[in-house]
Amino acid sequence: MFIRTALRGLITPLLLILGVAVITFLGVLGGDQVQTSLTEMLIRMVVVVGMWIFVGNSGVISFGHVGFMCIGGYAAAWATVDPNWKSIMLTGLPDFLQNGQYPFPYAVIGGAVLAAVVAIVLGAAIMRLSGIAASIATFAFLMIVNSVYSNWDSVTGGTSSIIGIPTVVGPWVAFAFAAGAILLAYAFKSSRFGLMLRATREDEVAAKASAINVFRVRLAAFVLSAGVVGVGGALWAHFLGVLTADSFYLSLSFITLSMLVVGGLGSLTGAVVGVVVVTIVVEVLRALEGGIALGKATLSLPPGSQEIGLGLVLALIMIFRPSGLTRGREFRLPWLQSRAGVVVSNTAPATGE
Amino acid sequence: MQTEESLLTDRPGLLAQPQAAELTAENVVVQFGGLAAISKVSLTVRRGDIFGLIGPNGAGKTTLVNCLTGFQAPTSGRVLLGGDATSGWSPDKFRKQGVARTFQAGRLFKEMTVLENVEVAAVGLGLTRRAAQLRAMALLDWVGLAPQANRIAGTLAYTDERRVGIARALILSPAFILLDEPAAGMSDAECEDLIEWVATIPDRFNCGVLLIEHNMRVIMGVCDRIHVLDGGRSLAEGTPAEIQENPAVMAAYLGMES
Ligand SMILES: Nc1ncnc2c1ncn2[C@@H]1O[C@H](COP(=O)(O)OP(=O)(O)OP(=O)(O)O)[C@@H](O)[C@H]1O
Ligand SMILES: [Mg+2]
Repeated sequence: MFIRTALRGLITPLLLILGVAVITFLGVLGGDQVQTSLTEMLIRMVVVVGMWIFVGNSGVISFGHVGFMCIGGYAAAWATVDPNWKSIMLTGLPDFLQNGQYPFPYAVIGGAVLAAVVAIVLGAAIMRLSGIAASIATFAFLMIVNSVYSNWDSVTGGTSSIIGIPTVVGPWVAFAFAAGAILLAYAFKSSRFGLMLRATREDEVAAKASAINVFRVRLAAFVLSAGVVGVGGALWAHFLGVLTADSFYLSLSFITLSMLVVGGLGSLTGAVVGVVVVTIVVEVLRALEGGIALGKATLSLPPGSQEIGLGLVLALIMIFRPSGLTRGREFRLPWLQSRAGVVVSNTAPATGE
Repeated sequence: MQTEESLLTDRPGLLAQPQAAELTAENVVVQFGGLAAISKVSLTVRRGDIFGLIGPNGAGKTTLVNCLTGFQAPTSGRVLLGGDATSGWSPDKFRKQGVARTFQAGRLFKEMTVLENVEVAAVGLGLTRRAAQLRAMALLDWVGLAPQANRIAGTLAYTDERRVGIARALILSPAFILLDEPAAGMSDAECEDLIEWVATIPDRFNCGVLLIEHNMRVIMGVCDRIHVLDGGRSLAEGTPAEIQENPAVMAAYLGMES
């Protein structure tokens, strides 16, 4: 009985992690090209799962999370890049960053912390707004981050990139972080804060009448969410080895939001499935753009097909399955399904839903 | 080990506090632009009583409940809880201080389970999920909805939906519970059923009930006192017998029917 209960609580994240592990395992058997796409997908999974912590549970769309990825990525790069290079190119950095060089784990923590701190300040200002107004404010935040990081030459290198970031992130490192993000996100969903936040998503007025401080629960989720996305940025930096502010802008925001929406905002399973499905669609379209040989002829789609194709997939899903591929449900094993009474089991009905 | 009874009606340590005996509106005025939704209304709901609030559509009943629960700031006048001023309190603060309410439109968390709907209010009040679930389940048992605990709230029958809404407001035994037309849209029989049950709440939970309801026969039967609003003004207040004999009330209601 106890084991069943414990398993039931963990079954969704464990199944998701298992699924992602299988994909990772198959992917690393492939060539360099496949491994690169795989790592990219796993890092995006960290980012999208991080976004889901806020967006999925609160129902407030955020266009600004890629901004937190940018903040996390740069913070991590400041920590790990060679001090000799920094002292020439990034003269505005504080002493401990300019002259020091720190190991990768510190960089990840730094990325998470800086993103979370910025989220506290931003969230304190905008989490009192209504949903739509808050969404627009997050978009303004994305633009501000982009313009600060593109122009603050002495700290970010401006439009010239930061280079020489140690490329320590491969498929398995990225997988480990994706698994961690999934566990954390599920723990949040199941927590007191997760429950209260989901209530505010369903009905904000009734949530207030139920003693819920809407501002506080939204802010808590926003900060946690930004921290996870900041980790995603740090991973991204240590995967590519190069950073430019413009890579954290509209097209990445579009892709990550599509991933959330395609899978279904309502569930963590949706976030994970969305990342995998959108990645496959994008990769197939990319391959077609590059051209594939059919006998003697080469078939290739015109450049730009990738974006158009993704847009079409998104539109079709919105039309035929507005709540996403998972319809907001979590992935479970039917025979472990809880019936009634999380606590009082003697009143369990014969048939549940 | 706690008994079923204490799970239902006691308030856990973190909420223990001197509980107000009265919830009072004092010369409350609410102005929406040029429209006076409420004009100088004063009333007092006492712990242990059922206080009826009646009046034709648009009389200002919901607006008054909004004032008494922090959803609407009075344009002038005050709301007092146990003699303390409540100005600036948010709705969640009112609930934490023991003033709970339901909504005319139900407003359940439709995609959450029945259990979660009730549990989340206890969590909002500071309990852990486990403790909140224990109490929510005990309350659902009392309401008679324990067998539906794991159902998605949006799939409930109308009458059950209303009961879940009341349970959500009753959890952790508030000092006052304000019910905005809990029987709206029900048949006479269903309405009588529900109100008969509501009538047991004050004794069981040692709380005061403010009840908005249009069915005169039902409301005359259960209320200790009744306050009549019309066009935002107080028309009368008194015991059911006094209200039934009040010429102004008779005129307003007869006028309405003709
Ligand atoms: N937010 C608002 N803005 C403007 N006018 C409002 C607002 N809320 C209520 N009113 C108006 O105030 C008056 C009182 O409305 P209220 O909802 O309090 O009446 P009620 O007695 O609850 O009616 P019913 O029996 O229909 O529920 C109505 O004329 C209504 O149109
Ligand atoms: Mg009303």
